[in-house]
Amino acid sequence: MPVSSARLTRTEAAIVILIVGSLLSSVRMTFKASRPGHSEPDVIAERSDERFARLKTRLPAQGIVGYIGEAGDSATPDYYLTQYALAPLVVDDSTDHALVVGNFPSSQLPKIPQNLRLVDDLGDGVLLLANASKEAK
Amino acid sequence: MAIALAAVVSLVSGYVLVAAGWPRSHASLSVWLMKLSLAAGFGLGTSSAAYFAGRMVAGDHFLAIDLFLLTALVVLYILARRRTGPTASPDPVGDIAASPGLSPLLIGSFVIAIAAALYDTVARALAHPHGDGWDAFAIWNLHARFLFRGGSHWRDGFNALIPWSHPDYPLLVPAATARFWSYLGHDSPAVPAIIGLVCTFSAVTLSMSSLWYLRGRNASLLAGITLSATPFFAQQGAAQYEDVPLSFFILATIVLLHFGFQHPSESGPRHSRGPWALAGLSASFAAWTKNEGLLFLIAMFAAYAWVFRRTKESEVESSTRTQRSRDLLIPALLGASPILAVIAWFKHSLATAGDLFSSSAVILEKVLTPSRYWAIVRRYFREFFRFGDWWIIPGTVLLIQFYLLAQRRDRSLRHPAQIASIAILALTLAGYFTIYLITPRDIYWHLRFSLNRLFLQLWPASVFLFFLFVARKSPLPSSK
Repeated sequence: MPVSSARLTRTEAAIVILIVGSLLSSVRMTFKASRPGHSEPDVIAERSDERFARLKTRLPAQGIVGYIGEAGDSATPDYYLTQYALAPLVVDDSTDHALVVGNFPSSQLPKIPQNLRLVDDLGDGVLLLANASKEAK
Repeated sequence: MAIALAAVVSLVSGYVLVAAGWPRSHASLSVWLMKLSLAAGFGLGTSSAAYFAGRMVAGDHFLAIDLFLLTALVVLYILARRRTGPTASPDPVGDIAASPGLSPLLIGSFVIAIAAALYDTVARALAHPHGDGWDAFAIWNLHARFLFRGGSHWRDGFNALIPWSHPDYPLLVPAATARFWSYLGHDSPAVPAIIGLVCTFSAVTLSMSSLWYLRGRNASLLAGITLSATPFFAQQGAAQYEDVPLSFFILATIVLLHFGFQHPSESGPRHSRGPWALAGLSASFAAWTKNEGLLFLIAMFAAYAWVFRRTKESEVESSTRTQRSRDLLIPALLGASPILAVIAWFKHSLATAGDLFSSSAVILEKVLTPSRYWAIVRRYFREFFRFGDWWIIPGTVLLIQFYLLAQRRDRSLRHPAQIASIAILALTLAGYFTIYLITPRDIYWHLRFSLNRLFLQLWPASVFLFFLFVARKSPLPSSK
């Protein structure tokens, strides 16, 4: 049974509409991808691997360290990026560990809590701290 | 050089595995492309599971494990080829009718669409080497780092102290990434980016080659254009999230189920056992990619069991039906079992509890709250038309217009594979609905930040099924 010409025309119209609709999106995809500054600059390496490269040499190869950081909107991503950089160390968001990583990228160095002492200031708001109550254990 | 070796071993493993389950039909370009695109994903899945199992029992001996895996697969291939004789390829059962004059438009449009998708994904991957979004570094690449960097302490990464990294999430891509890094000797961010691109374009190739084989060139090109032109598909393919790899395995399962349904009556069920075993394996890879894949796997077996049961007594004798179920479902179960064993091992000995289930009293309260149903239904409806980030005309609207204009008189679904496939996707969507219903998180937040990715997981399979269905309208030559 041959396809009727009316149905063929309808099918071809459907094909053309689908193609035009699809290519509109393809063209926009291309323009957006090629526009300079379209993507926000990637800061993951800068805020993780590069930022903690020096600190990493001062930490044990594995185990668990504590973490203290800034409050505010960037607190969670800062913490996650610290863990990403320092893996396979586990970074617990708590100061209840012998070694504690201090991460203060955008503020003045804070007053260090009483249970912690500064071991090393690695610059740019990266601190290595020790928890006196946990050190002896 | 090391990364090329890792890639070749992975691809060859995948290809040998696919070839072992493939019916011995005559070679054609479409069949070769199907096998190649399946091999890319299956190679990743197999080498990922082997790397993880090796990590669990043997430490860091990834080269020995790969060698053992490859040898075992070659033996499996030889044994499988001995058991199956050659079978005839079925005729395509009808392409989308179009005059030959439309061919240049179809081919040219496909070239533009695929080139745009390639350009966009590569540009995004280069701009975001660690992935585009939190989940990429905070979950998937973090798990890969623990597996690769952790030495004998790699299990530390799956720790209740960092629940936000979701230590219960399956590890197909993280383990595949860590395996490539082990060959390389360092953790290059290019690896997960390339894995994402391979899954993206393997999905396009698989949907096109299978439609070319099962229907014809027009259906194949239109599916390729639709998938390539979906901005969200390209964007997520480069984001280093796992929704596109999962979408690949869901598509592969659906394709293989259709492929397995080709010959049971003509060539005997023997020839469909291989594709069904591969379909089961593919569904298990989906479950090893994301927890949603486990839901998909359950939906697959439930849908096929239902399709076999609903076959009327008058059409198929009960004994034949039982025989057919056994011939098809058992190979699928056997195909799924090795990876399911790895998943069970992971969930039992390593993963922490998931965060989606609260106490039964809280779940009951949520289930009995009508406003939650309404919120989900509204979001499903809205996302149906917004899905994909299409420009001006949504992709779903484009497909609806195509269906309405190119409709045929007989619109009923008759083929059990099509009925079952639609049932699988419907059951999976219903499963997603249930998870939203009981989620302990804010339901609006949860829907807003995940529903589009859940739809994306089903998108390549939906596009494949759509063109498979609408192309089934030309007069059908009888099967050989």
